[in-house]
Amino acid sequence: MPVRDDADRPSQDVVVVEPFAVVRAGLIGTIDASPGLKVVASAASAEEAMVVVERRAGLVILVSMGLAGEQDAFWLIRSIRERFPGHVILAMGANADPNAVSRALFTGADGFVDKNVEVEQFLSAIRGAGEEEVVIAGPAADSVGTIAEGIERRRSLAFRLTRREREVLVVAAEGLTAREIADRLGVRERTVTTHLARIYGKLGVGNRLAALRLAARSGLVSLRQDE
Amino acid sequence: MGDPVRAVVVAAHRSVRNLIEVACQEAGVTVVARAETAASAAEACRSSMPELLVLDLELPDADGFRVLDDLADVRPRSVLVLANDADGDHVLQALRVGARGYVMKADGLRDLASTIRRVVAGERVMTPELQKDALGALGRLARRARESADLEADLTSRQRQVLELLGDGRTMGQIASRLGISPRTVETHVTSLYRKLGVRTRVQAVSRAATLGLVDL
Repeated sequence: MPVRDDADRPSQDVVVVEPFAVVRAGLIGTIDASPGLKVVASAASAEEAMVVVERRAGLVILVSMGLAGEQDAFWLIRSIRERFPGHVILAMGANADPNAVSRALFTGADGFVDKNVEVEQFLSAIRGAGEEEVVIAGPAADSVGTIAEGIERRRSLAFRLTRREREVLVVAAEGLTAREIADRLGVRERTVTTHLARIYGKLGVGNRLAALRLAARSGLVSLRQDE
Repeated sequence: MGDPVRAVVVAAHRSVRNLIEVACQEAGVTVVARAETAASAAEACRSSMPELLVLDLELPDADGFRVLDDLADVRPRSVLVLANDADGDHVLQALRVGARGYVMKADGLRDLASTIRRVVAGERVMTPELQKDALGALGRLARRARESADLEADLTSRQRQVLELLGDGRTMGQIASRLGISPRTVETHVTSLYRKLGVRTRVQAVSRAATLGLVDL
């Protein structure tokens, strides 16, 4: 056993949310082997993650941007931020562009760590996050100015849209028809077309593709799965 | 070897300008223009289009960020900012307008030549403390942006109008007559605004809304 000089300090509880089993196992092993950090739970999906974090307090939750599908990483980040604001959320990705980092922070992440950093840097990012520091580890650390600009762009665009309109836009980005969007959101098709028309008007565009392009540039929606 | 790097040096005080100039020489950078004010700095950059701008933020006519804003379309490839204070918001603002290096005049002038060399080489130069402060500011920015976007999405257009008029310092009566509704209705709107903003008084409401960027003061 390594001698811990911070033995009197309680260890930081960590939850790992990562869809790929092998990566997840690697992360858990690495984090658990590190003094002062302890993985108390892990999850392979966003839904699972919401269950594990519910009964705990003071967690650092590592959220892989690789979570895909309807309940993707951004959904999870937003849901944790809204329902369990006491936890620290550290988004984790590989080769993420500044826009994805802006989106993660705007959505509610407290920091971003790249999977390509050295192990020690990775662990110290988790520790820093646990001490409520804002952490950006990896290549994105060189783009802090760009990330800030991206957050402002998202905000100014979000300003123009209501919450429901934003939801419609996010689903529309998946390329669904108005009827499919309606089914997904549990509203009538007519309501969706009304929302879409209003969105086009607010954004000053003529069709869905133009609206999505504008929204994607501001990072409000992603036109492809991140990663 | 390519052409020598050309620099514009901007600082209010002659002694600081001289110091920068010596450091530039040492770093193999040619100083092509000097300026003492924000206005002349932008002009100097536009006419000489340098690769490097060394900018003291404390200028007599405006703060140095103005210079970088003015130069948005023709910003030099490398910008090194010299500052008096280590405020995280300022560091973040400098990064947003394209600064590559941020050094404190109190302790950063000693190894200025090597800083200039690194900035010209494309490195980002600032102390780990400043980097950390900038990240703290980034976190605050993200939280404010999120909260204000959420709040904005939750406000009805009527509530938004009432909020703006509150920000203008109008009384309930003035707001009522301006919007053509009863004072009683205005009060209802104000009450729900307070609830959504999480405040109890009008002053708190306006200051919170201003912090979130929902109204201009």
